[in-house]
This record gives sequence, C-alpha cells and structure tokens, in this order.
Amino acid sequence: MTAPVMPLASETGPRRVTVRFDLLRALVRRPSGLIGILILLVFSVLALVPDFFVGELETAVTATGPRLGAPSAEFPLGTDELGRSMLNLTVHATRISMVIGLLATVITVAVGAGLGIVSGYIGGRFDYVAMRIADFFLVMPTFVLALILTSLIRDVLGTGSKEIAGIRLSLLVIVVVIGITSWSSTARIIRSQTLSLRERAFVDRARVIGASSGHIMRRHILPNVMNLIIANTVLTFAGAVLTETTLSFIGLGDPFQPSWGQVLEAARGVGALQLGKWWYFVPPGASVVLVVFAFTLLGNALDDVLNPRRLAAR
Amino acid sequence: MGARYLTRRLLSAVATIAMIVLINFVLFRAMPGSPERMLLGRLPGVTQEVLEGTRERWGLDKPLFPDQFVAYIGATLQGDLGFSYTEAGSTVTEVLLSRLGPTLLLFGLGELVAIALGLALGAYSGWKRGGLVDHVGNAISLFLYSTPYFLLGMALLVTFATALGWFPTFGMVTPGRQYTDVLDHFGDIARHLALPLATVSLGLIGQYAILMRSSILDTLTEDYVTTARAKGLPEGRILRSHALPNALLPTVSLVAINIGYVVAGAITVEVVFNWPGLGTLTVEALSARDYPVLQGVFLLLSVTVVLANLAADLIYGVLDPRVRT
Repeated sequence: MTAPVMPLASETGPRRVTVRFDLLRALVRRPSGLIGILILLVFSVLALVPDFFVGELETAVTATGPRLGAPSAEFPLGTDELGRSMLNLTVHATRISMVIGLLATVITVAVGAGLGIVSGYIGGRFDYVAMRIADFFLVMPTFVLALILTSLIRDVLGTGSKEIAGIRLSLLVIVVVIGITSWSSTARIIRSQTLSLRERAFVDRARVIGASSGHIMRRHILPNVMNLIIANTVLTFAGAVLTETTLSFIGLGDPFQPSWGQVLEAARGVGALQLGKWWYFVPPGASVVLVVFAFTLLGNALDDVLNPRRLAAR
Repeated sequence: MGARYLTRRLLSAVATIAMIVLINFVLFRAMPGSPERMLLGRLPGVTQEVLEGTRERWGLDKPLFPDQFVAYIGATLQGDLGFSYTEAGSTVTEVLLSRLGPTLLLFGLGELVAIALGLALGAYSGWKRGGLVDHVGNAISLFLYSTPYFLLGMALLVTFATALGWFPTFGMVTPGRQYTDVLDHFGDIARHLALPLATVSLGLIGQYAILMRSSILDTLTEDYVTTARAKGLPEGRILRSHALPNALLPTVSLVAINIGYVVAGAITVEVVFNWPGLGTLTVEALSARDYPVLQGVFLLLSVTVVLANLAADLIYGVLDPRVRT
C-alpha cells in the first residue's frame, strides 16, 4: 500500500506511474508472475491481430478442409465438421473470448470499485442498502440468474444481426449480464479498504481545508485503493472468461462470432467427444485453461507483492 | 448460541429469499407474451373457463402491484410455479422433482468425496510445507482450480469412455436394458456415475485443498500451537488436536458458499455426460425458451443455496464461540 501521505495534486500523476513500473518489475522477478504475463502476452497478440496469423475467419463457404479431418501438414490442428481449420477458428475465438472478458471486467470493476468507494465514504443509509444488495448477489447462484437474464434480454431486444462497434449485440448482452452479476465482491473489498482510509489523518486534513467529498474520493481515496483494484481486476478477468465460456457452452454463444465456449459447444453438439475427435475441443479447451491459469498465477504474484502482511511473513 | 445471533441469521435468510421471489416476479412480467399463456404453457385443451380461472387465480385482471405480486407469492409458497412449455401438461414442480434425484446423487456424493480428499490433501501439504506432496499437490490444485468442470469432464470422457471404453459415454442407465435384479441395476448406474462423479470431485478438490492448506498455515503461527510444541507433544498429536480443529472452521463456510458456484459446474457437467438431472433440464429449457421451468430452476437452486448458507452460519456459531454476537 502506498504511504498515507497527502498527495499534492501536481504530484499524483507522475508518482502513480513510477509506482506501477515498480509493480511490473516486482512481478516479473517472480516466476509465477513472469509465466502469467508471458502467457497473457501471447494470447493478447493473437487477439489483437488474428488476421495477421491465420487470415480471416473461415466460414462454411470459404472452408477448404475435409470434414472433421485429423491434424495434418495443411491443417495443423485439424478441421471441424464444416471443414474449417481449427487453428483459424481457435485464434479468432481468442479475440472474441478476450474482448468479452475485457469488457465485462471493465464494467464489473468500474461498478464494484465506484460503488465500494462511494458506499464506504458516504456511509449511512446508502451504504446499508448498497451492501445488502451486494450480499444478496454474493449469496445467490448468479450463474443461473445470468443465463436467464441473457436469454430474456435477447428475446426482449430481438437481437438479430445487429452490431455495435463490430461486436454482435447478442455478445454485448453477455458482457452486460456478467457485469450485473459479478460486481459485488469487488464492491465489498474496496468498501472495507475505504472505511479504514476514511479515518486516516490525510483525509481529515483534506476535509478541513474544504475539499468536497467528490474531490476527496477521487484524489485521496482512489489512488490509495488502486493497488487493490488492480489485484481485483486480474481475478475478475479470469472469472469473466470462465463465465463467458460456460454460458456459451450451454448454448448462449453466437455462432457468427464464436468464442472458445461456442467452439466447445459445437464440438459437443456434433458428438466429437463420442467420436474421439479430440482436435475439435483440445485447442479451445487448452486456451481457456491456459488463460485462466495465467490470470491465477498473476493474481497470486500480485497478492504476494502488494500484500504487506505476506511480505512480513516471508 | 445467542438468540440475537439466531434471529439475525434467520431474518437475513428470509429477506434474501423474499428478494429472490421478487426478482422472479419481475422477470416473469418482463417476458414477452401474455402472462396467462405463459402460465398455462402449451397445456392441451385450454377452454375459456380455464383461461378465466387462471386470470382469477393469479389476479391478472387486477393491478400489478400489490395484487398480482401477492397472488404470485401465495402461489409460489404453495409450490405452484405454472406449467412447462415443452412437457405439455406437466407442472413445473413435477418436472423439477423428476430431475432432482440424479442431481442430488451426483453432487451429494461428489461433495462428500471432495471434502474428504480435498481437506486431507490440504492439511497434509500445509503441515509438511515445502515437501514433495506440497509442491505437486499445489500445482495440481492450481491447475484444477483454473479448469472449468466441463473441460475436465470432456477430457475424462474422451480418455476413459471413448478411447479406452471402460465406461459408458452418456446417460444414467443403459437404454432398453433388462435388469436381472436390484444389484444389476445399481451396477449399471454406478458405471454411468463413475466419470461424472470423478469430474465433480476433482473440480472441487482443488478449491478445498487450497483453502485448507492456507488455513493450516495460519494456525501454525498461533500461540496455542507453539505452546503445544513447548509442552513436547508429538507432531501428529499437535496436528490432530490443536491445529486441525481450528483450521477446519473456515472450511465450513467455504463449503456452503461453494454450493452457489457448484451450481454452474453442475449444469455443465451434466450436459457433458447427458446426466438426466437439473443441469440438463436447464439447458433443454434454455434452448426451448421454457421460461417457467427456468424460473423454477432458479428459485429451487437459490433457495437451496440460501438455506445451505444459513445452516453453515448456524454450525459455525456452534463451533466457534467468537462469532456468536
């Protein structure tokens, strides 16, 4: 945690940047942090420029391979039931899975951290109501709510082939639903940190010189919970990828913009498991496991670096 | 246990269930189509009288709030959740009950196996920190923790059922098979159960082992363990009578909290193996847009999770006097 000195307005910008570089350096020095970052780097590059590596996403029309063909020189990861290259499909699915995961994480962390800071700082009735709602979401099985909400919102909106910024509306519904159902643990964590920060002397000082609540939350509370938000973002991302994969796997994906879960669902649908066509589900399956594993490693490394209690115990 | 602790837990559980019912009501009315058609589903031979009876029963001619809401709560409390779309003529409650058994069998056994093995593995690796079991166990736990249940299930299915042929690839019983006696029947179910059960247990073991390990590590630095060492007690005795009982406490709440997450896994594992439980029911209902059944599943699962959490809180209160405030 950063030292509880009162940061001057001109100081916060550059100071925060140096702190982050220290963080990155400390992470790379740990084997778990380094492995996590390297795996995520590979998948991020694939997600950014899939066309550069494997060309455009193949369709039933443009596919050239055999039906459910085993891996060969021409198709290193085999082909699916439409003759599409599994390599092409998996790399393009990487983009969809990572983008949905990222957007859902942004919503989750923004709502969770915002609500956590405001709730903790303001307190009173607002805090009470917000935290009861958070507790409710923590207790109940949010996954079942997510799957009902997803199919319901799609039915109401009538998401056909509408797209926003290149992402199909049906997938954006998943993003929003993941956000709605998973902000509560972030809010809880950030709120409890805010509660202790609120009592510190530098917050009192700011209040005494006449700073508004909004200013204090932005300038004094937020920078001090930033580390916590970063650590939480990593875990949230892993959870978002898992939730999206699971929702797609039970049939809520979009075949026109396949994610890893959607490919896995297709593999199950054509009976690849019973036919022993392992190349249909191993590439997307291994990708999911690797990415979630990388986030978990990174999360553990971050926890070691940022948690002063653990440092002391070492 | 203090009466205040008890009342507070009970009240919070009741409030949570009330909120779940409210969400169900709101979702129910947000759906496209008229509510009476929704309630009756594709019930054959619906006459004008039946339609009006339904409007009467659910207060559909009266205002949405409070009349319809009150009628909805009353019906829910009586277990009346409307009719399924896909299984024409069956009530949602009948459909749910017919699928409950297989799920309870699979996940009840899975939880038991995972609790026993996961806690033992975690306790051992935490106690022998830095040893071989700790390193290997930790790596495996972390890997299992990052693997979605259904991927684990797919891997097991393709290896042990499709490639090696040791187990059947789908369902709970062999279709059309005649059984010579009860034992034969059980044997068939057990062969079908083996892989899904292994999937559920392996998926859970990772989480329980990780928690138990860190819990044991925390107790190792406690004063009472140091005291026990100073008294010259043997290591095994310290672990069994001093460290373990205290380290077990946090796992009680984890097991309960986990039930909520297990639900997502439950659905997917059943889908992979075509296990005829609530999970496959959910996916069938989802693809057929059978909303009454989906709502029934949501209600049943959420209430189960809330009650499990309540039970965990109460057990925790009995075990640990410090939280009874």
